[in-house]
Amino acid sequence: MTPALHVEDLRVTSREGRVLLDVPLLTLAPGQSLALRGASGAGKSTLLHVLSGLVRPSAGRVVWGGQDIAALTEDARARFRRETLGLIFQDCHLFEELSALGNAGLASAFAPARDRAPIRLAAASWLAALGLGQAGSRAVDSFSGGERQRIAVARALAGGPPVILADEPTAALDRANADALGADLVRLAAEGGRTLIVVTHDAALAARMGRQITLADGRIVEDTDA
Amino acid sequence: MLDLWASLPPALQDVLFALALIAPGLLAGALVLRGLRPLPLVGAMLRRFAFVNALFVALIAVSVGLGVGLLAQERGLRQGSARSAEKFDLIVAAPGSEVTVMLAAVYLQPSDMALVTGAQYAEIAAAEGVAFAAPIAFGDSYQGAPVVGTTVDFVTHLAGPLAEGRVFSAAEEAVAGAYAPVDVGGSFTPAHGHGPAAEHEAHEGFAYAVTGRMAPTGSPWDRALLVPVEGVWAVHGLANGHAPDDPRIGPPFVPEMMPGTPAVLVHATELWGNYALKSRFTRGDLMAFFPGTVLAQLHALMRDVRSAMSLMAVLTQVLVTLSVLIGLMILVRLIARSLALLRAIGAPLRFVFAVVWAYSAALILSGATLGLALGWGAARGISAVITARTDVLVTANLGWPEAHLVAGFISLTLFMALLPAWLAVRRPLLTDLRT
Repeated sequence: MTPALHVEDLRVTSREGRVLLDVPLLTLAPGQSLALRGASGAGKSTLLHVLSGLVRPSAGRVVWGGQDIAALTEDARARFRRETLGLIFQDCHLFEELSALGNAGLASAFAPARDRAPIRLAAASWLAALGLGQAGSRAVDSFSGGERQRIAVARALAGGPPVILADEPTAALDRANADALGADLVRLAAEGGRTLIVVTHDAALAARMGRQITLADGRIVEDTDA
Repeated sequence: MLDLWASLPPALQDVLFALALIAPGLLAGALVLRGLRPLPLVGAMLRRFAFVNALFVALIAVSVGLGVGLLAQERGLRQGSARSAEKFDLIVAAPGSEVTVMLAAVYLQPSDMALVTGAQYAEIAAAEGVAFAAPIAFGDSYQGAPVVGTTVDFVTHLAGPLAEGRVFSAAEEAVAGAYAPVDVGGSFTPAHGHGPAAEHEAHEGFAYAVTGRMAPTGSPWDRALLVPVEGVWAVHGLANGHAPDDPRIGPPFVPEMMPGTPAVLVHATELWGNYALKSRFTRGDLMAFFPGTVLAQLHALMRDVRSAMSLMAVLTQVLVTLSVLIGLMILVRLIARSLALLRAIGAPLRFVFAVVWAYSAALILSGATLGLALGWGAARGISAVITARTDVLVTANLGWPEAHLVAGFISLTLFMALLPAWLAVRRPLLTDLRT
């Protein structure tokens, strides 16, 4: 079941005390798609990292489906990410010596034994859905930038997460590849009823989302629905 | 408990000790890897930084190889020197240094020595319980190979049946050691003395004909040329131990006609008889000793040196272990980004810990295995050089001490590899992810 997001009194400060993020309230319904926009240093990626549990906030609550991940231990937050989130990074972060399928099914390496085969099957299936079905056994260093990002998308989806968080997924791609990947992301999220949150500078990608939030100096300055 | 341990066969003690040494490392591994499958990822990381990893493995291999080679070599040298002295039951010589006589008579290291007289020899040879008493008369050489005067009994006792030809039956005949520089059928004129100071023309006009070749003995005698002791005396212009009209060679000798010999090898009819003979000929004008005992005393004297060497080897291994630890910490930085990705997509900390530990373990085990092979190869190579230079057959094989050293090293480093694994999961995730 896709969880709703409820963020309350969220603050992230640097060691020097500078406020990096200050979000009094942010809610997101299950299955919504959201673009986080803003200038560099506005706090988009920091917000995404807090929402994914990669960064623990200085104060406030980050509640996914009733569970405040800010209060969890590191291992519990890892379990949350494993079971709930699919993460996509600007730099694909692939294991260069593994095949496309090995990367897409990476989560099978640390999943419980009963989940390993399903994850590998899902990985192959997502690669096929993203147009890489015939190339699963190829080493990833032989793929183009767009193809590598598709492998990263397949990896994010292989565990069947109800939420997808993507940090500048099209930043390193040319226009055609960026458009294709953006369309795929939105389509696959919508098909599975998944929540999709994307940090992007790309207006075209942001326009595909149901909602857009703009940040400046760590604060939400604009929140618009499509 | 100690009694129970002492009652176990040595081989079982060695096995149990090796298991006890390696157990902590294996136990740590079993606990770390339980229920996890990090190896595919570890394989990918090893391939990703193949050159650096290979270099690290090579460093471990060289350090382990040095320790293994040192231990195997030292034992091989001890065993080789002991084997060379095996056939020399009891040596009787004029009073002096037992070590000097042993080095001269057993290891054929030239030395000036007082002689056992004809009368003394006759007394030794006639003593009750003596199977044979063989004079060992050295001092000449040919192309660097010692020429030693002795008897047929000694030749047979030393090397058993000849590999080729027959034993000498006349004063001008010789039997070559297995690797002596003259073939059967050939002949040679001995030089007086050894090495650069040898006088090559001193025995001009005299030649020994080689009639046979001994089988290898693994001792310096393999390069020697054995001749009848009568020939040695004759070539030096001395009486030959027999009456002028007596053409025989070998004992008995006429005491008055015997010029003397630096040493006599005594072989008793019974093993215990050696002790009685040693006692009998240990007196003011003679000394009797077991070369094996003198060698054991030398080895015992060197035990302190050996202990110091062992301590140094252990200290070296400890330093190497610390270096391995520091190296692993540096290597972990290379794979930090991959580890951060794993953590970001939800890998449990225990899995990331296992990946780092297994990565370290793969390097350590590869290095140690390669080091074992390298040590064995180095020991064999050095043995060949020592054998070529001393003619003492040194065979360095891997044994339990080396297995214990490597087991201890592996166990310690596997255990210490827990530290870089622990540090790896404490690294800042986002920083590593952005690297």
